[in-house]
Amino acid sequence: MPLSVDIPEKEVLRYMGYRGISDIDPETQVRIDKAMEQVAAQSHPRVISKEYPVRIRGNEITVYNDTEEVILASESLARNLKDCCGAILLAATIGPACDMLVRRAAVTSSAEVSIYQATGAAAIEAFLDDYNDKLEKSYAAQGLFLRPRFSPGYGDLKLDHQKDWFRLLDITKHTGIELTDSLLMVPTKSVTAIIGIGIDKNKTGCSGCSGCNRHDTCAYSKEDK
Amino acid sequence: MGLRERLGKEWLFCDGGTGSILQGLGLKGGELPETWNLTRPDDIKALNKSYFDAGSNIVNTNTFGANRFKFDNVSEIVTAAVKICQKARKEAGREDDAYVAIDVGPTGKLLEPMGDLPFNVAVDVFAEIIKAGYEAGGDLVLIETMSDSYEAKAAVVAAKEVCDLPIIVTMVYDETGKLLTGGGVEGTVAMLEGLKVDAVGINCGFGPTQMLPIAERLVKCCSLPIVVNPNAGLPRTENGMTVYDVDPDDFASVMEQIAKLGVHVMGGCCGTTPDHISKMINTVKAVPFTAPTFKNETYVTSFADCVKIGKKPVIIGERINPTGKKKLQQALRDHNTDYLLTEALKQEEAGAHILDVNVGLPEIDEPSMMEDVVLKIQSVTNLPLQIDTTNIEALERGMRIYNGKPMINSVNGKEENIKAVMPLVAKYGGVLVALPLDEGGIPETSDGRIAIAKRIYEEADRYGIPRKDIVIDGLAMTVSSDPNSAIATLDTVRRVRDEFDGHSILGVSNISFGLPARELVNSHFLTMAMQNGLSCAIINPCNGPMMASYRSFNALMNLDPNLQEFITAFKDYVAGSTTVASTKSSGAASGAVLTLGEAIERGVVGRAAEAMKEALDSGRDSLEIIDSELIPSLDRVGKGFEAGTIFLPQLLMSADAAKAAFAVVKEAMADKPRNTKGQVIMATVKGDIHDIGKNIVKVMLENYGYDVIDLGKDVPPEVIVDCAIENNIKVVGLSALMTTTVASMEETIKLMREKKPDTKIVVGGAVMTPEYADQIGADAYAKDAMATVRYCDSVFEGSA
Repeated sequence: MPLSVDIPEKEVLRYMGYRGISDIDPETQVRIDKAMEQVAAQSHPRVISKEYPVRIRGNEITVYNDTEEVILASESLARNLKDCCGAILLAATIGPACDMLVRRAAVTSSAEVSIYQATGAAAIEAFLDDYNDKLEKSYAAQGLFLRPRFSPGYGDLKLDHQKDWFRLLDITKHTGIELTDSLLMVPTKSVTAIIGIGIDKNKTGCSGCSGCNRHDTCAYSKEDK
Repeated sequence: MGLRERLGKEWLFCDGGTGSILQGLGLKGGELPETWNLTRPDDIKALNKSYFDAGSNIVNTNTFGANRFKFDNVSEIVTAAVKICQKARKEAGREDDAYVAIDVGPTGKLLEPMGDLPFNVAVDVFAEIIKAGYEAGGDLVLIETMSDSYEAKAAVVAAKEVCDLPIIVTMVYDETGKLLTGGGVEGTVAMLEGLKVDAVGINCGFGPTQMLPIAERLVKCCSLPIVVNPNAGLPRTENGMTVYDVDPDDFASVMEQIAKLGVHVMGGCCGTTPDHISKMINTVKAVPFTAPTFKNETYVTSFADCVKIGKKPVIIGERINPTGKKKLQQALRDHNTDYLLTEALKQEEAGAHILDVNVGLPEIDEPSMMEDVVLKIQSVTNLPLQIDTTNIEALERGMRIYNGKPMINSVNGKEENIKAVMPLVAKYGGVLVALPLDEGGIPETSDGRIAIAKRIYEEADRYGIPRKDIVIDGLAMTVSSDPNSAIATLDTVRRVRDEFDGHSILGVSNISFGLPARELVNSHFLTMAMQNGLSCAIINPCNGPMMASYRSFNALMNLDPNLQEFITAFKDYVAGSTTVASTKSSGAASGAVLTLGEAIERGVVGRAAEAMKEALDSGRDSLEIIDSELIPSLDRVGKGFEAGTIFLPQLLMSADAAKAAFAVVKEAMADKPRNTKGQVIMATVKGDIHDIGKNIVKVMLENYGYDVIDLGKDVPPEVIVDCAIENNIKVVGLSALMTTTVASMEETIKLMREKKPDTKIVVGGAVMTPEYADQIGADAYAKDAMATVRYCDSVFEGSA
């Protein structure tokens, strides 16, 4: 099942570190095109998501499952989820093929490694954006609005919470994503996230590059500095 | 009666779900169900008994996740579980016809090379569980819910090494019949049949309806008894509880349909209850039982690919073999696996279906090299491999670590050789190449060869290796020394097909040894061999005439549907040319010829290497070329990068081009001592598996004349420090991408200060900042590869 969405080239270039230029040399363009085609064709995206009741008290978010309560301590996530009473936890991956493409590139060309890395990153984000849109529409039908997605490791939400995501959603069984001892995901082009469900359309929470405390120094920031 | 005597001869039934029932009894989220074997044994016994009462013949112990990553008392937990299940069986009065299955689930960790769990450690982890279960009296090993065929192999190998109990393996496929790691039904079955398990099947993932098409595929390809254990449909949340949408009656009715396909063991998984199982048993028992049938297809597999040996000949790439290849020999001596990987990728691109891997050189440790190379090649290609060695230890190490069902090259008719090789094939599985020669040498006639082949088939029968998994080598030998040799070989190939309905293989190019224009003889001989029924051709797939013969043959013999392969390969063919269109351009710009400096600045790899070769051929000194052309052009790119006018991709392409140019120099100076600026260690610290940044820095340092000792990723502090001491290293570069692994960077620095205080440490990576670097005691922070080069220059020049 290849990728069902287009990989935005603009995003690939951004992840590669191009900033504010449009004239890519033809050699590089050929390689980028090939990478986008291969990553799209060989991907096998999988996603698991589940809705949970949540309660926010100060900087503490409690996620209620039928057998346990998980507490996430994070000021930035609390801000993102302000006034939400439910949230969607999710995990998604484009599958292991992109990692192999990266390893193959590494045999011959460090430039291609960066191209495949960037393409894979853009692919998983595009897949999630599309999934997110669909969720948004179905919640909008119930008069509910979704907050921007937020991942463990963003802001002050500790990466350790990856373990909670993996336990709550049984991610490995459903998607094949595994968590290493150092809390990294394999396949590497995978994302875990939480999306707040609110009743107020205007409350968009904090998110994206501007919501990140490394915004000023990050080479990949979407906004020009 | 033993389970083995009953499997595949009558209906047998497994149990159903466990997790959801235990949750109903109060199992908390995050609580490990296996602890209940010790804390609430009566509840577990009641659960086991309810399935014996429902009619299950095979009931699982509560040991699904009882591995050492979750428990430090694995043996105690497993022993308790087996005893509980035995008691339950006794209480249910089922001691005569029901079995206690030692239940083995996945470890939750991904195996190397994708993940961080070494294969042999996985085998140990499973062996610990199975041994405890066996000693406590378990009747069979049920390996289930495996979504990675490699992990399943580790569990099967463990089971075979600690006991002789029957082994059942059930995998989790998705709706398309794929494992989460990419393998398909047919390839996975081929691997498990090779491993000689007693039954295979599918469990979990989804409900019986979605499982129907997968069961159908299993029935088509599998010669073993088939097990089907679906969930009770799909889970959904209702009032905060997980419920499944298929009730016992519906479950029974779909299971009846699956039963009619011709499967042999049925049960349930998540969400199914004793009620589901008992209704299913009542319904299915009325369906006539059909025994498994033998399937005559031969497959060689990798974790993702499945190559059929049959009517259409298969190309086996011969390039990874040091015989007569100086560069490859050197690469093996230097442990330069990148060179081997490049050869692997080239052959894949040229159209090989399987890659032969031979790493035999007298002066290297062949067994560990074989293990390493098999693992590394499998990390970059889906193509199955042919493990090619005469060293039995290397053969076993390669077969063990291999992910899938490999080809084995080879066994011959000598008694001693059969005794060494065939037990390995019986243990690990594989398609075995058999050379029809024996103590009496190589028979000159096909009669002699066919007689030995017959004997080898008979030996295979004795070891339980199916005849379909034997491929007879026709033994191509040069016509320059024996004018009859091609005839004898072709006869042998034809007779293997006609007299044994067997498969054959040839190392095709041996036929022309000592002749001029070898590719002419080889390519014609290949066509003739294929016409005589050749199944596998070991050739160089990068050779145009050979692939032209191969593709033409397939086109003519209706083995290339719509002639698609032929047309794709030759759409740009120019009459009279003997080269096959290559899909890869060298990257050379059309028109103007670039100088070495230009090629590097523009990142044109092929031209950079070519220009360097021209410069060397013209008699110039290599160091002079490097200093006057290569380094200045790299510098220009580096400065542009630092100034923000050139972006990372261009920097990397220039680095690639410079690297290619250096490779030419290296080769030219292979025998001369090299001049380097100094030795530098590079490593990604312990706990971190990101090595892209580190690899970029390595390439740049090498381009600037440093000799880099690359310790890889996830490197423990002691390894780095010991290496620094041993080689008296001046500069160590450490990389960490994750906040969580900066701690191990700090630990490494601390240890270095203690044991080798004069070594400088430069750090970098996504989470690093100058302040952070300072805080953990590094000597310097480098924001990118160029900065690392500059820092090293300052250290080495400062001390020169």
